[in-house]
Amino acid sequence: MKSYARELAVAAVLGLLLVVLAVWAPAFFEPAPLRSLLAREAPTLVVACGMALVILTRQIDISVGSQFSACSVAAGLLAAAGWPMGLVLPAAVALGAVLGAVNGALVAGLGLPSIVVTLATMVTLRQGLNLARQGEFVNLPDGVQWLGLGQSAGQGMLLLVAGAVFVTLALALRHLAAGRHVYAVGSDAEAARLAGLRPRRVTLAAFMLLGACAGLAAVMNVVQSPQVQPLAGSGLELKVIAAVVVGGVAISGGRGRLGGVFLGLLLLAFISPALTHLHIEAYWEKAIQGAIILLAVLADAGRKEDSP
Amino acid sequence: MTRGAELIRAGWRRHEVRLLAVLVAEWLVFYYCGTSVNRHGVVVGFGTLERQGDILRHSCEIGLLALVLTPVILTAGIDLSVGSLLGLCAVVFGQLWHDAGLSVGAAAALTLVAGALAGGLNAGLIAGLRLPPLIVTLGTYSLFRGLAEALTRGAVTYTDFPAGFLALGQDRALGLPVQAWAFLAVAAAVWVLVHRTMTGRAFRVIGFSPEGARYAGLPVRRTLALAYVLAGVVAALAALIYTARIGQAKADAGTGYELSAIAAVVLGGTSIFGGRGSVTGTLLGVAAIAVLQNGLATIPVVIRLNAAGEIAGLLTGALLLGALSAEAAAKVLSQLRRRRQSAPGPNPVAP
Amino acid sequence: MKLFRGCLALLFLGLLSAVAAPAADARLMVALMPKAKGNAYFISCKAGAERAARELGVELLFDGPAETNAAKQNEIVENWITLGVDVIAVAAENREGIATALRKAQRAGIKVITYDADTLPDARSFFVNQATPEGIGQTLMDEAARLCGGNGEFAIITATLTAGNQREWQKHIEARLAAKYPGMKLVAVRPSDDFKDRAQSEATALMSAYPKLKLIMALCTPAVPGAAEAVKQAGKVGQVKVIGLGLPKENRRYVQEGVTDCVVLWNTDQLGYLTAYVAVAVARDQLKLGATSFPAGTLGAMRVEGDNVLLGRPFVFTKENIGQFEF
Repeated sequence: MKSYARELAVAAVLGLLLVVLAVWAPAFFEPAPLRSLLAREAPTLVVACGMALVILTRQIDISVGSQFSACSVAAGLLAAAGWPMGLVLPAAVALGAVLGAVNGALVAGLGLPSIVVTLATMVTLRQGLNLARQGEFVNLPDGVQWLGLGQSAGQGMLLLVAGAVFVTLALALRHLAAGRHVYAVGSDAEAARLAGLRPRRVTLAAFMLLGACAGLAAVMNVVQSPQVQPLAGSGLELKVIAAVVVGGVAISGGRGRLGGVFLGLLLLAFISPALTHLHIEAYWEKAIQGAIILLAVLADAGRKEDSP
Repeated sequence: MTRGAELIRAGWRRHEVRLLAVLVAEWLVFYYCGTSVNRHGVVVGFGTLERQGDILRHSCEIGLLALVLTPVILTAGIDLSVGSLLGLCAVVFGQLWHDAGLSVGAAAALTLVAGALAGGLNAGLIAGLRLPPLIVTLGTYSLFRGLAEALTRGAVTYTDFPAGFLALGQDRALGLPVQAWAFLAVAAAVWVLVHRTMTGRAFRVIGFSPEGARYAGLPVRRTLALAYVLAGVVAALAALIYTARIGQAKADAGTGYELSAIAAVVLGGTSIFGGRGSVTGTLLGVAAIAVLQNGLATIPVVIRLNAAGEIAGLLTGALLLGALSAEAAAKVLSQLRRRRQSAPGPNPVAP
Repeated sequence: MKLFRGCLALLFLGLLSAVAAPAADARLMVALMPKAKGNAYFISCKAGAERAARELGVELLFDGPAETNAAKQNEIVENWITLGVDVIAVAAENREGIATALRKAQRAGIKVITYDADTLPDARSFFVNQATPEGIGQTLMDEAARLCGGNGEFAIITATLTAGNQREWQKHIEARLAAKYPGMKLVAVRPSDDFKDRAQSEATALMSAYPKLKLIMALCTPAVPGAAEAVKQAGKVGQVKVIGLGLPKENRRYVQEGVTDCVVLWNTDQLGYLTAYVAVAVARDQLKLGATSFPAGTLGAMRVEGDNVLLGRPFVFTKENIGQFEF
């Protein structure tokens, strides 16, 4: 808990990237496009916060991309059916929480390994969605986009929502008893149980919270354009997990902070636009992403806690 | 109770036996529902030898990956990079043969070396620097696919391989698809390695407790490294077979294969937490998924639904979840039973 | 144990449904395979093919990979061989890769044609050619140059860097650019992975990275509305033009608002319709090599060149005409 090595390493790489951009591509920092970029990543931050909680309890959820897609389509269809956004939002969040609860029940209730459970729910949800929609776009009625607020206000509000989720969860993790329970369960569930905690409830709650985050994020994404693509969100799980682990949350649970996750996400989210701004060919992108993940994790080399 | 019934009961407790029962059930159902005389008067479908050969052919690459993921998962590790590595090796092979002008044999040999090197990178980071396998291979998952795209600028596709090479993926030898022999050879080798050698035992011990393994004087790093290098080499072999089967080498080969392979290993009863599992289980897991996915698509009614792939995907997910839940539920039940038997309390509750 | 009982129950359910199913009727069975089933492009092909199937009184199957996948296409062809369909029409993801499976179908007495993207000539009898890649590349590049007044920077957003058809179009765009438009400059090619959302992000970054950018050309169906939304949000409507290969329905809103100048596409609905007609004619031995014209229902007489049935030039959808198309 004490060492900030990973956060510093990620911050250093991010800083370097920003300096390079400032020198060779100052246009990156123009306010309007930068605000757009951040608004596009705001939903990802919300999901990453939820994922961090799940990983802190020593679990993982790779079905989150499918949950995101399902909630996006559901939100789109409800909005298209004329539901006001004030009802669409809670419905999507509730759907996400239910999907998360299914994972959580299987993992916490039956003690099944989360990577396998969520692998199965990921496939099942995705195929179900393919069957149901066949890839067809959902067209949204006018007034859904930006919640009718206009673009800059809408973007500002998305950033505000993402920031609020982030700050709330970060503070809760640090200062609330429930937050400390998450760390306790992740470091040693048996010890936590002996100390009077209920590890299963904590795990279930973490999965439900992640699902709710996916639902919220889906709505935050849906309001940014007038059409919903059912494919949206596939592959999201890898992006989010990468951000969380690059940000220093130990995959073995119980260690890491949301601040690191924020930095990790920024770093990964900036790579693609940075390559565009630096005029580097797109086919290098995945290789660079992989190299950055490896570099960041190298900061942990030699630490005992993470050994396999 | 007769001795036979006793034996059956004992056998039923083994995961492999139950999985075998599922496999046989699948096979029988598809044999009856999936074999038919089509409108041209030809016997077609699941029951034909040709179709059985095709099922083998279609599942060789994922089967190979599942085989070598078994030792990795036994050590409580994971390798998410094998699918990407398959793509990278396919591209490397294409370049060595087409651009560098090497013979197919030399190019294939060098591709296997490349696979070993890539596996060595994982091994170095995981066994050498003791970094967590999930993150390391998440990084190389991106890195290998990225290198495959960068090497080809995303654009180049290698085709027109010589017929002798394509035979590896498309012809038959001694009644089986050619690649099935490679698969069986690797399966036998991995089985011996895991179940009949000290190294195999070391995989499990490391999976149970790396500290314990170290104190017991086992070569932990070397054993771990072996598992990941082996995964790299066999991913390269799978790349060669894939290229020969499809007839093209392209940067997107093998996308998503890692998850299918992991699903097969886990369905086969290998614990994702390490230490427990068997190669036989993995083979059954691969077969159960392959027969389900291919068999479903031989039933005329299912084909006419135009969604055989989606339904097979749904059922695979359900099978995996069901198998896991049944396993867990059985464990919980037997615990309850034991508790009741050891302490017959005054308050017997009906189950 | 419950699991296994459950499995058995499920499998018996399958058995029952197989037995209970109506016996195969005597109608001609036409199987149509898209490159990717979820792609709007192919969904509209399907709509056209269904109309043709109704007119002709044949049964139509429509199945393919959820996302483009050459290996999956082979497996589905195998399934259709099993079912014993009469004719298969494929949009080949991979020219060589699918040829083996298609030859096997021919040996089993099934007629094979291709549409949208061809396979090797010996593995099929006819190819329904919607518009050559060359025609697409040239039309897009000509439109781009016209909108930019013959000079300026433009960028391309593709599906994935590895997608075959995208590469093919890009090659012809670049060839036309080099041959005819020295004043135009292609500054960047970015992938969108077939995601509308990613295309939107990429277009946003492109506009701020290349302030002199005059035009974005999106080569895959989901990327066109994505790019248009980005231009709209950046407040650069008119300053940065958007054109692309896309379906009218998804783009109508942006074309009518003037964000997207035009989308280029052959009429995919007609492509599906024509493909179904050709498939049925081939299966009934009504279309043979040497024909120069082919009557395709409401489309009238279509031109046949060798073993290609031609749909015609790609169509340019603009503000004036886009409202008339329902696909």
